Amino acid sequence: MITRVEVVARRGPGGRTVLPVVRASGQLAVRRTGPASVHLVATAFGPLGGDDAEIRLVVEEGATLAVRTVAAAVALPARDGDRPSVQRVAAEVAGALDLRAEPTVVARGAHHRAELSATLAPGAVLTAREQVLLGRTGEEPGRWTGTTRVVVDGRPLLHTTVGLGPGAPAWLPPVAPRAYASTVHVGQAAGVLTGDDAVRLPLEDGWVATAWGAELHRVVRAAEAVA
Amino acid sequence: MTAALLTLADSRLPAGGHTHSGGVEQAIAAGLVHDPSSLAGFLLRRLTTSGAVAAGLAAAACGGGDPAGLDDEADARTPSPAVRAASRQQGRGLVRVGRRAWASPLWDALPRAPHHPVALGVAAAAGGLTPRDAAAAAAYLSVSGPATAAQRLLAMDPLTVAAVTARLAPEIDAVADAASGRNGHVCHRDLPADSDPLLDLLAEVHAARRDRFFAS
Repeated sequence: MITRVEVVARRGPGGRTVLPVVRASGQLAVRRTGPASVHLVATAFGPLGGDDAEIRLVVEEGATLAVRTVAAAVALPARDGDRPSVQRVAAEVAGALDLRAEPTVVARGAHHRAELSATLAPGAVLTAREQVLLGRTGEEPGRWTGTTRVVVDGRPLLHTTVGLGPGAPAWLPPVAPRAYASTVHVGQAAGVLTGDDAVRLPLEDGWVATAWGAELHRVVRAAEAVA
Repeated sequence: MTAALLTLADSRLPAGGHTHSGGVEQAIAAGLVHDPSSLAGFLLRRLTTSGAVAAGLAAAACGGGDPAGLDDEADARTPSPAVRAASRQQGRGLVRVGRRAWASPLWDALPRAPHHPVALGVAAAAGGLTPRDAAAAAAYLSVSGPATAAQRLLAMDPLTVAAVTARLAPEIDAVADAASGRNGHVCHRDLPADSDPLLDLLAEVHAARRDRFFAS
């Protein structure tokens, strides 16, 4: 199934953010849940292998936008073949974007690809959080591939691809975690911080914090501790 | 292939690679590497992440990609300050010896202390090699240095360690093929970006230590 979402946040009269464009088709609906916040609501089971979702977020100068989801997404295998499900988030930010989805759970046999491509103007603020769990309770892990590319003022700031789950080349014992959490922030600098299976790395005017382990709730706490 | 490739991948090339363990020293301290089989796993992990990134950058730099733009892409793919410093240190060392070995105007386009894979790609071009050669050298160097470091730190049998490295040949070739298989000028954003947060964590913990034998 093809899913397309588009939200544009603009600075309106009096400095308040208005959302002149809020569009969604396919498996996601968009609900306005605050003056400058939207929730993405899944309207169908999945995503399933082969599904393709593209979420375009534009935050113009002086505007702010918070994007949330209402529940964890469970990525399931294709009914036929082994195509991955794909979700691309393309963000153009001159204001402030705060993107925090609920966890993605990747069921056995599924492969989910998550891509975040953020293009920032100088002075733009970004927070993007990702939480992943491979396999539901008692289930074998699925596979997740996440790519983050952040470009600020035309220069690449961060570009990483993390592969988790069976078949990912660097997902090897003794460190082959089922749970993973990562947050990238641009807008305020922070230095290196290390923890147990958690690390924060500095970026110019920002940072990226990552944690991994066996259980998602612990990993989320570990990521928050270094964020 | 020409002999220049053998020179470029030779650990005796005085480019400073021998002072770096590529994360192995800290992996040993953390108990993750302790025998030939755990070393093989660590090397494979490194090869398919930072090795793949290095191979992509080296191939692009050898193929005429803009060195300054590729150096920015290398920075974006290397968020760990410790790994960045190690890469730039080795890049600078390679430029020093490469300039003398293979005279070429290509060197002048490099930033002062370039990332090692970018310098490696330029060295390969200056030495008359192909992007595939540059990718192969980068992929091979991503495991050969760490393997030697592990041998020294764990006092492992050199023959065993040589065999571990040699058995990775198909994986090294696969990484080099994938990195250079995209013909012509590759859009920089499409270069491999595979990363391993574990290696970043090990590098940062290592950099904070005072009792280390290797620079990284």
